[in-house]
Amino acid sequence: MTTPPVISLSHIRFGSFKKPILDNLSLEVPAGHFMGIIGPNGAGKSTLLSMIAGLQSPDAGHIDLFGMCLNNKTRQKLQAEMGYLHQAQGRLPDIPMRTYDVVAMGLNSFNKPLWSRLFSSSTSEKKLITDALELVEMVEHKDSDFRRLSGGQQQRIRLARALVRRPKLLLLDEPSAALDSRHQEKLYQLLRKLCDEDNMTVLMVEHDVAAITSYVDSVACLNKHIHHHAKRGETIPDDVWRVMYGDHVNIVAHDSSCIGCAPVSTKTHTDSTPNSPQGHHHD
Amino acid sequence: MIEFLNQFFQSPVMLDALFPAILIAVITSSMSIFVLAHRLSFLTVGVSHASLAGLGLAVALSLPLLPTAAVTAIIIALLLAILPNRQGINEDAGTGMLFAGSMALGVILISSASRNEVDLFGLLFGNILTVSSFDMRWIIWGSILVLLSLSIWAKSWWSMAFDMVTAKASGIATSRLRLILHGVIALTVVMCVKLAGIVLTTGLLVLPAACAWFWGRRMFSLWTLSLSFSLLGTLGGLMWSYKYDWPSGAAIILMLCLLFILSWIASWLKEQATK
Repeated sequence: MTTPPVISLSHIRFGSFKKPILDNLSLEVPAGHFMGIIGPNGAGKSTLLSMIAGLQSPDAGHIDLFGMCLNNKTRQKLQAEMGYLHQAQGRLPDIPMRTYDVVAMGLNSFNKPLWSRLFSSSTSEKKLITDALELVEMVEHKDSDFRRLSGGQQQRIRLARALVRRPKLLLLDEPSAALDSRHQEKLYQLLRKLCDEDNMTVLMVEHDVAAITSYVDSVACLNKHIHHHAKRGETIPDDVWRVMYGDHVNIVAHDSSCIGCAPVSTKTHTDSTPNSPQGHHHD
Repeated sequence: MIEFLNQFFQSPVMLDALFPAILIAVITSSMSIFVLAHRLSFLTVGVSHASLAGLGLAVALSLPLLPTAAVTAIIIALLLAILPNRQGINEDAGTGMLFAGSMALGVILISSASRNEVDLFGLLFGNILTVSSFDMRWIIWGSILVLLSLSIWAKSWWSMAFDMVTAKASGIATSRLRLILHGVIALTVVMCVKLAGIVLTTGLLVLPAACAWFWGRRMFSLWTLSLSFSLLGTLGGLMWSYKYDWPSGAAIILMLCLLFILSWIASWLKEQATK
């Protein structure tokens, strides 16, 4: 018997018929797979992640997670297996909170009634929280006030919160935002390790394809639907870049190990636009 | 001082007021941290003023005051939770509209009643010194309901206040729990009206947590501190009220304001010392 894919999206549409945000989107992601999703602003990347996280329902098509249909009845059960990091966009409130407690909020047991604590040991929970803090190298800040941390440190704590429940599926919306390049590399290394060693499935939205390409198993090019799904060693054709980002982009290829790059450098980079798939930094 | 305390604790009026006042202090301080965390201060203003409509209805239809006011306040608080989401109206604007509309209805209904039926000053500024046994039963059952709700949903409400999107993605039924939070706040507001009155109720639901906000670092420490400040403010306020013959609700709010200023100054001094 074959294991069902962790994510199976079938003919998803979100939004009206005339102006859909996502249209006829189908995608399958197996267990232990690390997938990067790239696309221009407004392509529907965050919407796709929030639908898989069970925050929004598609207007057409259906979503299967772990071989189970995502609907009102199964949502809560499926969400217990997921970790989700959304784009904070400065919306975090001014509430006094220790970083340790922020991470604790990610535990499935956190939301139980107060009296349930009287009958359960919290030793295993403490270990889970400490482990999650260690993964993001923030153990020494466990008693710090979350509000006093830098943007990058807050982002790492939010990631620890998503990881603390040891999810089978991790959904990350621009997790490297606010991280410096050293911590970006460490983040991608950590995610790669979690996929390889814990068989975790990771779906990550990022803008910089070059930064993630050494770590992910595949890259999906999204703009309303999946234009191309490039696996390790495959290239993303020029016309896909142009359909997604427009004709003004110039494509620069770096090396053959880079997903999306042509093995031979055939074009020269003359222009620079913020959302263009440039800036590949591999030697 | 000792003589004053003896007199205070032997006064039958004060002894009657002490238990309901402390009970209200316990529930308001507990809800207070969620009012601040969810930024619902304006909701408490709106619901407390809107409860005048309930009191007006109770007077006009000869219904019991507190239960009628509670039901009206809860309906209004739930409408305020639902309407902005469904109709795209800003929550502040929605609160402002319902607050003004229901207050207008309350004023008209109460003005139609005879003067003897309504203690308008008591409604506006509270009077814990005249709690009837029916009011007392109502306050006790209301408090049990609020404390029970807190023991079930406090942690989910806290998680929602910190990050609503992640809370929803974690499997918390955020829409349902937000409705319950609004309903429990409305119930607390109505019980406060007896102590502090329509005008001053918000103070009891904001000031205890505001004092604690400078010092707490966890939900439970904020809760404990908020409770301590609230009890101190209530006892101190009642003593002021007894000594100077001030209205009890106003004296309690004034004491809480004083505690807030002291807490603020102490926190500022601590910050300067650690720099």
